[in-house]
Amino acid sequence: MTASLMLEVDGLVKQFGGVQAVLDLSFHVREGEILGVIGPNGSGKTTTFNLITGVYRPDRGRVRFAGHDITGLPPYEVCARGICRTFQIAKPFRELTVLRNVIMGTLLRHPDPAAAEARGHEILQTVGLEGRARMVAGSLTTIDQRRLEVARALGTGPRLLLLDETMAGLNPTETEEAIRLIASLRNQGLTVVVVEHVMRAIMSLSDRIVVLDQGTKIAEGQPKEISSDPRVIQAYLGVEYRRA
Amino acid sequence: MDLTTILQGLLTGILMAGIYALVAIGLTLIFGVVRIVNFAQGEFVMIGMYATFWLWKAWGIDPYLSLLITMPLLFCFGVLVQRFLFRPILHAPDLAQIFMTVGISVVLMNAALFFFTADFRSVKTAYAEWALRLGGVTVSVTRLFAFLGALLLAGLLTVFLTKTDVGKALRAVAQDREVCMLLGINPERMYLLAVGLGAALAGAAGSLIVPFFYVFPTVGVVFVLVAFVVVILGTLGSIEGALLAALIVGVAESLGILFAGADLGLVVVFAILVATLILRPSGLMGQA
Amino acid sequence: MSPRTYVPAGFLVFLLVLPHLLPNPFYVHIAVMMAVFAVLGGTWNIIGGYGGQLSLGHAAFFGTGAYVSTLLVNAYGISPWITLWLGGLAALLLSVPVGIICFRLQGPYFAIASIGLAEALRLLVLHFRDITNGAQGLTVPFKGNAPWLLQFDSKFPYYYLALVMAVGVVLIVRRMERSRLGHYLVAIGQNQDAAEALGINSSRAKAKALALSAFLTGVAGVFYAQYTYVIHPDSVFGLGLSIQIALVAIVGGVGTVLGPVLGAVIMEFFIQFTQIAFAGQYPGLELMVYGGLLVAVILWRPRGVIPWFARLYEGLVARLPAARGAQA
Repeated sequence: MTASLMLEVDGLVKQFGGVQAVLDLSFHVREGEILGVIGPNGSGKTTTFNLITGVYRPDRGRVRFAGHDITGLPPYEVCARGICRTFQIAKPFRELTVLRNVIMGTLLRHPDPAAAEARGHEILQTVGLEGRARMVAGSLTTIDQRRLEVARALGTGPRLLLLDETMAGLNPTETEEAIRLIASLRNQGLTVVVVEHVMRAIMSLSDRIVVLDQGTKIAEGQPKEISSDPRVIQAYLGVEYRRA
Repeated sequence: MDLTTILQGLLTGILMAGIYALVAIGLTLIFGVVRIVNFAQGEFVMIGMYATFWLWKAWGIDPYLSLLITMPLLFCFGVLVQRFLFRPILHAPDLAQIFMTVGISVVLMNAALFFFTADFRSVKTAYAEWALRLGGVTVSVTRLFAFLGALLLAGLLTVFLTKTDVGKALRAVAQDREVCMLLGINPERMYLLAVGLGAALAGAAGSLIVPFFYVFPTVGVVFVLVAFVVVILGTLGSIEGALLAALIVGVAESLGILFAGADLGLVVVFAILVATLILRPSGLMGQA
Repeated sequence: MSPRTYVPAGFLVFLLVLPHLLPNPFYVHIAVMMAVFAVLGGTWNIIGGYGGQLSLGHAAFFGTGAYVSTLLVNAYGISPWITLWLGGLAALLLSVPVGIICFRLQGPYFAIASIGLAEALRLLVLHFRDITNGAQGLTVPFKGNAPWLLQFDSKFPYYYLALVMAVGVVLIVRRMERSRLGHYLVAIGQNQDAAEALGINSSRAKAKALALSAFLTGVAGVFYAQYTYVIHPDSVFGLGLSIQIALVAIVGGVGTVLGPVLGAVIMEFFIQFTQIAFAGQYPGLELMVYGGLLVAVILWRPRGVIPWFARLYEGLVARLPAARGAQA
């Protein structure tokens, strides 16, 4: 293994009231790879993101980013260190324009608002939203809102990007676009962790896949291995997965 | 400072705590069910006080008796406030809601100033000076009645909330509005009930303290401040918490007055607020 | 030149000659008070409008500035031109622990704490009457016309000073609006979770906004002390004042640069009108109606908490032609 470890999640445990959301979860992300995270609903995928990015503090366990322990740091600190995430339910700044939304991200590394705006335009070009720069975010279509989420996150200049179900509800063309965009991000040097339910997308995108079920990792490996792993199939309620 | 004086202070604090609890319970009820922070709660108390005063002045009605009038009166007032002023802004941003209740507070306070002038009013009852002597400690009868009255009302409310169907429905709405609608509970009616009750309790507090408290337009300010501290300390939305917190705040204020000076009682209360926000912002009943 | 420039510029010119147009010093006094409230509303707006944290105790900062300055002037003979900054600084320092305690919490805590803060300070000042002269208040030693001690025998210099402060606040708010802090405050107001995920430290941003607001409010307090010569705990720390400050910004236009200016003008007109109309017979009337206005406006426009005056202004400006020599 020559690539260094971008992210190490080690023995994470998180409980809410009586519900064990995450139980002894450990996995790693190599620099420059696209890691897919799949699992049935309620398996703890979003909670894991929340634990990594500091929205929740783990009850036990550590999170290490590029060698540094970032466990329990607040979300803005985690972002400043280089991890940015999108939300499963998009949270755009509804009353602001698309451009201004992205500027909120770019201001992190470009404190001068003029520079932040210039960088914002660049980012919008990358994700294909330049044409809608002046539109109010609340009036965007679903896919554009997703694009905006990604654009904003990119604005913060992350080294690691966490995408939470970016492709839910997209049609096949839109899904293709999304796959191409994410692959291009990786090609530019970003490390990406993708949580998805859309199997086709995640199988074709991911270099490696981690499978969660009931808060813990039940399988890990290449997409081909995962899709025929009986434990994985079992976890999805025994429905045999057919590759699209 | 001898023991008797301290015990006296303690006792005064406990007795006053009953009133604070009443006002705070109303506040926390409104917040728990309707999710609105009612900055005008103190003015509800003020209205209760003025109503009691005028009933006494015009018809010689005893303050405790006037409870039978002021409580329903304020209940209706609360219902009207909820229906016409709170309902339109239920889903508005928090800032708008606070502005609204502050606006209501300003209107009520200044209306009292305008209609009744800034003069301090007081009610003279035959029993105003009565006191019980227990050992070296003196218990003012009016304060004792206020405390007992508050306790009684709090007890009735608790029974109402836990034993009656309507009361349980009210608590249910406080927990989860959407589920309640599925269960056939009409949240709108519950909101009206909650605000009505919250106002009625405040009004009751007003009636109960008039025998030993001056009535003036800005009297509500003091109560709302203390009530907020009690509510925060006792956890927003928790009635048991409000009772416990009221006790703590009442005693602390009283002891503060004893040791620091009569005019610094509120400062002690503020100190409790600061301590709560630093150490345990979710309150006594909340998760740390 | 677009109307956006020449309307305020024209208004500024008008303001500069205003005192000379007014029939007697009483009207100049009204103008001074309008300017003071424009300052107060504008600074309140920084934390209330942009920061989204409703302060109902801004008098705490105002009174701190007034008392710190007057105490220093009385005790050590320091020039008020210096204590102007010291008073602001004292208010700023006061705001720091408030911000640290309240801004990490979500909920109405800051609003409640702000009321408590102002009240606590008022009571403390009343209590330590050996130092502060309690309810009788403090006076600035009267020296006649002494510009180096910030005292003038005519109202005009006070007016111009207040005008400078008001314009200053407007410019500061505009500058802040366009800065990173300004952007961040807007983001936090839109969605705090999303903002934090983008690296925005929301507590720190709000604390900065509060510090700036507190400082400027303290400075205004010093000016007020110098202008009125006498300050009392009730007048400079009172809840009534805090609410008036908030109302100025709210009715004029929360989160806008010129809103508080409009709000201040309206508020003063209103107060003076009712004073004159009812010869001061009916205390509480103007605030009662003003509060009613607030309630009515909230009912009417609960969502965009009321920049409607600002919108009227925008609408007016949009209709005006560009002046000669304008670029496209």
